[in-house]
Amino acid sequence: MPESPVLKVSDLKVTFATRQGPLRAVDGLSFEVAPKEVVGIVGESGSGKSVSMYSMLGLVRDANVTITGSVEFQGREILGLSDKEMQPIRGGEIGMIFQDPMTALTPVYTVGWQIVEQLRTHTTMTKAQARERAIELLSEVGIPDPRKRIDHYPHEFSGGMRQRVVIAMALSCNPKLLIADEPTTALDVTTQAQILDLMVKLQDSYNSSIVIITHDMGVIAEMAHRVVVMYAGRPAEVGPEIDVVRNPRHPYTWGLLGAVPRIESRNDRLATIPGNAVSPLDIPEGCAFADRCEYRMDICTKRPQLKGANDHLDACWLSDEQRVAIRTKASS
Amino acid sequence: MSNEILLKATDVVKTFSTRSKKFGRPHLATAVNGVSLEIRRGETLGIVGESGCGKSTLARCLVQLLPTTSGSVVFEGVEISKLSRRALRPLRRKMQLVFQDPYASLNPRRTVGDIVAEPLRINKFGTEVVIQERVRELFRTVGLDVNSLTRYPHEFSGGQRQRIGIARALALNPSLVVADEPVSALDVSVQAQVLNLMADLQDKFNLTYLFIAHDLGVVRHVSDRVGVMYLGEIVELGDADELYDRPMHPYTEALLSVVPELNDTDAPRRERIILKGDVPDPADRPSGCSFHPRCPVATDKCKEVKPALVEIRPGRSVACHYPKNAG
Ligand SMILES: Nc1ncnc2c1ncn2[C@@H]1O[C@H](COP(=O)(O)OP(=O)(O)OP(=O)(O)O)[C@@H](O)[C@H]1O
Ligand SMILES: Nc1ncnc2c1ncn2[C@@H]1O[C@H](COP(=O)(O)OP(=O)(O)OP(=O)(O)O)[C@@H](O)[C@H]1O
Ligand code: SF4
Ligand SMILES: [Mg+2]
Ligand SMILES: [Mg+2]
Repeated sequence: MPESPVLKVSDLKVTFATRQGPLRAVDGLSFEVAPKEVVGIVGESGSGKSVSMYSMLGLVRDANVTITGSVEFQGREILGLSDKEMQPIRGGEIGMIFQDPMTALTPVYTVGWQIVEQLRTHTTMTKAQARERAIELLSEVGIPDPRKRIDHYPHEFSGGMRQRVVIAMALSCNPKLLIADEPTTALDVTTQAQILDLMVKLQDSYNSSIVIITHDMGVIAEMAHRVVVMYAGRPAEVGPEIDVVRNPRHPYTWGLLGAVPRIESRNDRLATIPGNAVSPLDIPEGCAFADRCEYRMDICTKRPQLKGANDHLDACWLSDEQRVAIRTKASS
Repeated sequence: MSNEILLKATDVVKTFSTRSKKFGRPHLATAVNGVSLEIRRGETLGIVGESGCGKSTLARCLVQLLPTTSGSVVFEGVEISKLSRRALRPLRRKMQLVFQDPYASLNPRRTVGDIVAEPLRINKFGTEVVIQERVRELFRTVGLDVNSLTRYPHEFSGGQRQRIGIARALALNPSLVVADEPVSALDVSVQAQVLNLMADLQDKFNLTYLFIAHDLGVVRHVSDRVGVMYLGEIVELGDADELYDRPMHPYTEALLSVVPELNDTDAPRRERIILKGDVPDPADRPSGCSFHPRCPVATDKCKEVKPALVEIRPGRSVACHYPKNAG
């Protein structure tokens, strides 16, 4: 029997009222995160990855937004909580890491001041205790000479070092859950390796769960235990990482994986997905991927539900036999 | 690919005067530090390296969009690094650039038809009728709808905008196309479309590409040969497959080892080599080998003696005192 999930998202929908009509940024997202599990959310630009995370945390500050569904954190519904009620959760029990470290840092304060503030807000530490803990955290995330660096300002750090500081802040209150939105997208590959390595090590010692959002299938494959592939605000496929990468079921996932140029070998042509991502103002009633799908059938004008076996689900009308036939043909 | 050398750079140096982060006073930063390379007609030479290693600066020096501080660049047999602007003009049309951000490089107030026609008009390609016909032909070549000629850049997706940028670059039949991170801003499925298009165009028009990117997978996919840059220098150069399968420079080896892999086969993963620290400031270059402070195999010699880029085997060069896979 699996432990009860740390996070349980059910049928999350986020719609913005815009001049051009309703924009369905997230349209029925459901997934769970077990204790100590790393869940990767992957999808192309505009597929609703960031909006789904921001809406869970009550960070979508837009008068024109409507959010429905349910988000349970440790068994407690957090969707719709007031800022005051969310305050101990955000930055406390849930740590956050963003693509641009400067989202989380204030340029006019030293990094030490910012970590100390965070600790003082969420714990009962004294100033001196918080400062000692901040130095300890900086050292844990691999900032050399933390006793000196703690009094430096964010601009005195490189991009990779700043992201380390943000990770130190995110971890400061021993969060149960770490949400990282493209934490390494702005970084070089060698720095990305340092940061991902750090996240894995810390996850291990802090026993937190991680939700990592990225558009990079490679990062997902290396980090995540389970994957949610998003297309047009909807989950197209959900399952254990190894199954999704080695045995993808949804035509969109096939295209996504086939389009990645590899460093291990070279093939003459990359697989492509025809056309462009569907506009969230204009998502079809049926399968959101239908316009770009080469296997589209009549029934695809009806919306396919997420279904499957062994924890590996997908939203596509193709039968198992059809998929086997298509994949066998593709690999021959 | 032929053996004809389209462009030959020798010891190209580019310095900028900047305020060094560390010292806060004006300082000379050497963004390109003595690069020599050749580009053969019809090939794709890929340049990889991390942010700030000088890829864009090198590219701009090679096509003389930036004056070089020293060194020589010979294009189609002509030394171009000392030419006046006017003498350079007829050669410029043969060297075209495609940029990373298609949006920033397209004038938002002009129709896309006008944008593609502009180089044709400037270079007096022909009558307006001839120019319009050429623009339509270019649109068809890059897979854009000719009915969209009168629309504006913001009405197109990122991938379509990159096609517009490519159409504009091809307008005057260039021999060399320098593509500086042409697909970095695109989603992976759209990136694949643009890469396939660039490959088709190369076959069709016998184009030569200098292809710059930080994505190692993309560079392997497109390149015949690859140069790896670190801190303004080429540290390794060679046939793409050779270089990826048997890297010689410790930096190349580390770089390749940390690329996140899909791991969708049972082949063992390369052992990760995680480099320590950050890339140094080009205004504060380390002694000896520029890579020595981060190099896992550095010795005292590396701190003191700068290794030259040496041809270990025909077509295979490395700048390291202790190259791997060299036997
Ligand atoms: N405040 C807002 N008002 C209207 N539309 C919005 C708002 N915020 C986001 N959107 C739209 O919602 C959709 C989903 O955006 P989101 O930022 O979640 O995408 P993403 O998957 O994170 O993409 P990326 O990979 O580019 O970060 C997009 O079409 C975006 O334009
Ligand atoms: N106009 C300039 N003035 C001063 N310094 C410059 C200028 N242009 C570039 N540099 C410096 O030269 C170095 C090389 O920059 P360059 O843009 O060529 O790197 P790059 O490899 O293209 O990086 P990226 O991958 O981020 O595009 C950097 O340290 C940069 O700060
Ligand atoms: S449901 Fe239909 S259109 Fe959608 S992915 Fe499956 S086959 Fe393609
Ligand atoms: Mg996002
Ligand atoms: Mg650049």
